[in-house]
Amino acid sequence: MTIALDRITTTGARMERGVKRYGFGDASIQALDGVDVGFEVGRFTAIMGPSGSGKSTLLHTLAGLDTLDEGSAYIGEVELGALGDRKLTLLRREKVGFIFQAFNLIPTLTAEENIVLPLAIAGVDEDRGWFDHVVDILGLGDRLDHRPSELSGGQQQRVAAARALVSRPEIIFADEPSGNLDSRSGAELLEFMRRAVRELGQTIVMVTHDPVAAGYADRVVFLRDGKVVDDMDHPTADKVIDHMRFLGA
Amino acid sequence: MLKTALRSLQANKLRFGLTALSVVMGVAFVAGSFVFTDTIQARFDTLFDDVYAGVDATIRIDETATVETSFDESYLTEVRAVPGVDRAEGSVSGSAQILDRNGETLGGIGSPTLGFSWVADPALNVGRIGDGDGRAPVGPGEVVIDKYTAEANGFAVGDTIQVLTEQGVGSYQLVGVAAFGTEDNLAGATIAAFDLDEAHRLFGLEGRLDTIDVVAADDVAESELLADLATVIPTGTEVVTGQQQTQEQLDDVAAGLGFLNVALLAFAGISVFVGAFVISNTFRITVAQRIRELGLLRAVGATTSQVNRLVLIEAAVLAVLASALGVLAGIGVAELVRVGLDAVGIALPDGPLRVEPRTVIVGFTVGVGVTLVAAILPARRAASVSPMAAIAAVDTRTPRKSLRNRAIVGSLLSLAGAGALVGGLTVQNGASLALVGGGAAVVFFGISTLAPLIAGPVARVVSSPFRSITGKLARENTVRAPRRTASTASALMIGVTLVALVSVFAASIKVSISDTMETNPADLIVNSFADPLSTEVTDTALANLQASPEFDVVSPVTFGWYSIEGVNLDVAAVDPATLSQVWNGAPSIDFADMGDGLMVHVNVMEDNGWAVGDVVDVEYVAGTVPTEIVGTFETSLLAYTLVSHEVYGRNVGHGPASFASIRLAEGVSLEAGEAAAEADVAGFPTLQVMTRSESIETAEAQIEQLVSLFSGLLGLALIIAVLGIANTLALSIVERTREIGLLRAVGMSRRQVRSMVRIEASVTAVFGVLLGVAMGTGLGFALVRSLEDDGLRTFAIPFGQLGVWVALAALAGVIAAIGPARKASRLDILRAISYQ
Repeated sequence: MTIALDRITTTGARMERGVKRYGFGDASIQALDGVDVGFEVGRFTAIMGPSGSGKSTLLHTLAGLDTLDEGSAYIGEVELGALGDRKLTLLRREKVGFIFQAFNLIPTLTAEENIVLPLAIAGVDEDRGWFDHVVDILGLGDRLDHRPSELSGGQQQRVAAARALVSRPEIIFADEPSGNLDSRSGAELLEFMRRAVRELGQTIVMVTHDPVAAGYADRVVFLRDGKVVDDMDHPTADKVIDHMRFLGA
Repeated sequence: MLKTALRSLQANKLRFGLTALSVVMGVAFVAGSFVFTDTIQARFDTLFDDVYAGVDATIRIDETATVETSFDESYLTEVRAVPGVDRAEGSVSGSAQILDRNGETLGGIGSPTLGFSWVADPALNVGRIGDGDGRAPVGPGEVVIDKYTAEANGFAVGDTIQVLTEQGVGSYQLVGVAAFGTEDNLAGATIAAFDLDEAHRLFGLEGRLDTIDVVAADDVAESELLADLATVIPTGTEVVTGQQQTQEQLDDVAAGLGFLNVALLAFAGISVFVGAFVISNTFRITVAQRIRELGLLRAVGATTSQVNRLVLIEAAVLAVLASALGVLAGIGVAELVRVGLDAVGIALPDGPLRVEPRTVIVGFTVGVGVTLVAAILPARRAASVSPMAAIAAVDTRTPRKSLRNRAIVGSLLSLAGAGALVGGLTVQNGASLALVGGGAAVVFFGISTLAPLIAGPVARVVSSPFRSITGKLARENTVRAPRRTASTASALMIGVTLVALVSVFAASIKVSISDTMETNPADLIVNSFADPLSTEVTDTALANLQASPEFDVVSPVTFGWYSIEGVNLDVAAVDPATLSQVWNGAPSIDFADMGDGLMVHVNVMEDNGWAVGDVVDVEYVAGTVPTEIVGTFETSLLAYTLVSHEVYGRNVGHGPASFASIRLAEGVSLEAGEAAAEADVAGFPTLQVMTRSESIETAEAQIEQLVSLFSGLLGLALIIAVLGIANTLALSIVERTREIGLLRAVGMSRRQVRSMVRIEASVTAVFGVLLGVAMGTGLGFALVRSLEDDGLRTFAIPFGQLGVWVALAALAGVIAAIGPARKASRLDILRAISYQ
């Protein structure tokens, strides 16, 4: 019992014996091969692994964008496999934030409209104080009236981050958020994400193949061939690179 | 390149299927109108050939030479005495309406109800009674009717049936049913045949004949026979050959069906025109979407002209397939028209459908031509794609060109088109129709060129009631691609413009007519059911009415035609003493003072440069009579010229009136007056009594009927436009896959996605309809104003009707959005967000 209670208080999302296959017969690929992993509340976790290791699939199935073939995925204590499209949509709207690698924003909406998009979809008014706070942390104050096409790549990703934060989700999933950015913009974005965890108490799970990006996280989970192969606390870029070499990636 | 083009078509079956549909519909109307006309011509050809096969010559009334409708039957003896005549038979004809079992008259709208005397000699009779179908009528109580009518109403030989003629309703024993050539009836007419004596009595033609048919002896040359006959025939008649008769009948049929043909071709034109917008739109979007693929082709060495050709080949393949389907569908259209006509009582002869090579050639030419022309601009755009597009992420939206150029070109086109249109409406010559049609088409192009400029602002206003995030996103989608929104809306605009034009025009006519009729002081009108212009109110009926104490004034009017100084004009013979009490024609002198003179409508005076006091040559059938123009009048509802009954009778002959206007006596209620008039004409079943408001209603109902016919057919153009909206929307969804995926990922429900797409479609549709309503109303205004002199004094806008069209358009948008909305809401989020 104590273990279960412990989990409730500390796990933002988790997967138990997760299996995901793509394709049929000989062409079938085991993207996830019995994954057991949990992500603690209030921590910044990076998922690393070489191409085809299943890291994106892990993120998608955890976020309710894709379904598992076997095993179960949880956001908080909600089992995703039991939910239909409508409930999954509501869950994403209320409990999950997303930052994708690119094409994060609706081109016809201004930065501010993009940030409050999930709230607008839900038909809820934003908490103005919180909004200002988030915008302030991400340094977007003077860019709110701009359309995405008028923003730099780094600014666009920060708007995406603000959108993920503004609805106060239980967990934010980020898929290579800095993948399309130059190193300075990338570093800025990752620093903001770290601050969101430290100062705002957010939970963030980020997929990346960049050891430098992983160095900003509190913990790194290593994936290979659809399995969790290692777990590292307090990583630095150098430690991650060494570890990758060790894993033969 | 052909292979690449075919692959592309195959990969986008649905998209091109929808595009092809608009080509198919256009071609179907073109082919349908040809197939229908050819088929009907061929069938009537056979029919009349059969019918007149035995007749070598016919002596008949020459309507251009006499007002008489018959000649003395003694001429038959003279004709028979002409050498070279083997046999000759005389006959009379008139109107005879067969009544069904409920006592209602049979015969469809406008189809003739013929009665004639049955000729015993089969060679000289158009009809034939087959074995087991009975025998010829003999004596006063017997009738033969056409087989079609008999079968349609379950009449069998031996039954007693009712026939309505000028003499009233009579009961007859049905002794035979007749076929005509290979047909069961004669070009849609209902036919009742009696023996000659009975026909004489029924049509009031005792001792007279109106036709003599002749069979020549074997060894006589046709020209000789005609020359010989010409020496004995009475004045006012002519002699024609059987062939000539056949040809004339065919020409009549062709003229009668001409309006159908024109209507079908007009709708073909509209469908093709609307279709061209849809095609052009589809190709433009597919080119934009395949920019990477096109860039790759360029990068691996395809020249610009090869890429250009690629798109044109795609268009050509599509066009050929669609045209083939269109020609096949056209055969269906022709059959549908025939079935439709049959349903309203216009039976056409049976026979196989005729598909002439010309039909196929024209169908393909139109289909392929229009598609290729519509694909020219998209193909040029495709060719201009840079090879870099394959490598770099290029904005797939075409760069915005200068809006000023667009504004200038659009305005110039609109003005030029409007100029041609107004010119065509005001100038009355052979070119006017081409000017109006061409002008309207150019205006359409002009407005659709200008449409992107106003698409944004209008879409914002139209969508302003939708305040939710879905409404906002939908609005921004329509605003961000104003050209696409505008060209999608343009397709809808065309149909709606025409509908709005017809509605406005009809409403204006209605208001003008009822305004004029409201001021008409006549309380009651007595005229014929079947044809308000026929001369039906006989002297007996008139005398009955005039004898009734309930009426203060009974004023008869007879319509006719003559020419004055070589100008063909209609004339109303009136009773000068009473006319002003039943008709408000705004005359320059009192009608009672017209005497032996002529009164002329002010416009006719002006057109011909006549002045009051001029003496003009009035050419009656009997001869030319110099007549003084004694005054003018302004209302044209009656006729363009007026003379007294006395003058008309002196020069044309006395006949029954076309209608009679009645003014009630003091203190007589409308109900009592109506009842009295009904009683007076009770013995004349073809006459009806109408109050002023009933007359107005009847006139309005006729216009209403025309409007609904037009609207129904124009609805087809709207269907094509809706297909266009669905097509564009589906393509724009594909283009926005990633965006929709993102919206779904951050929590937009399927229902919200659907509603977003629906709003977008409705906003586009309403934009198109607003453009169309504005244009249709504008064109309607021009048309009404140009006809002001012809009595169309009031310009009216049917707001209710137009409102209904706007609502229907919004609904059409929602319907067009069903498919795309489903598709958008079912997008696989994961694939959408990883979409490259």
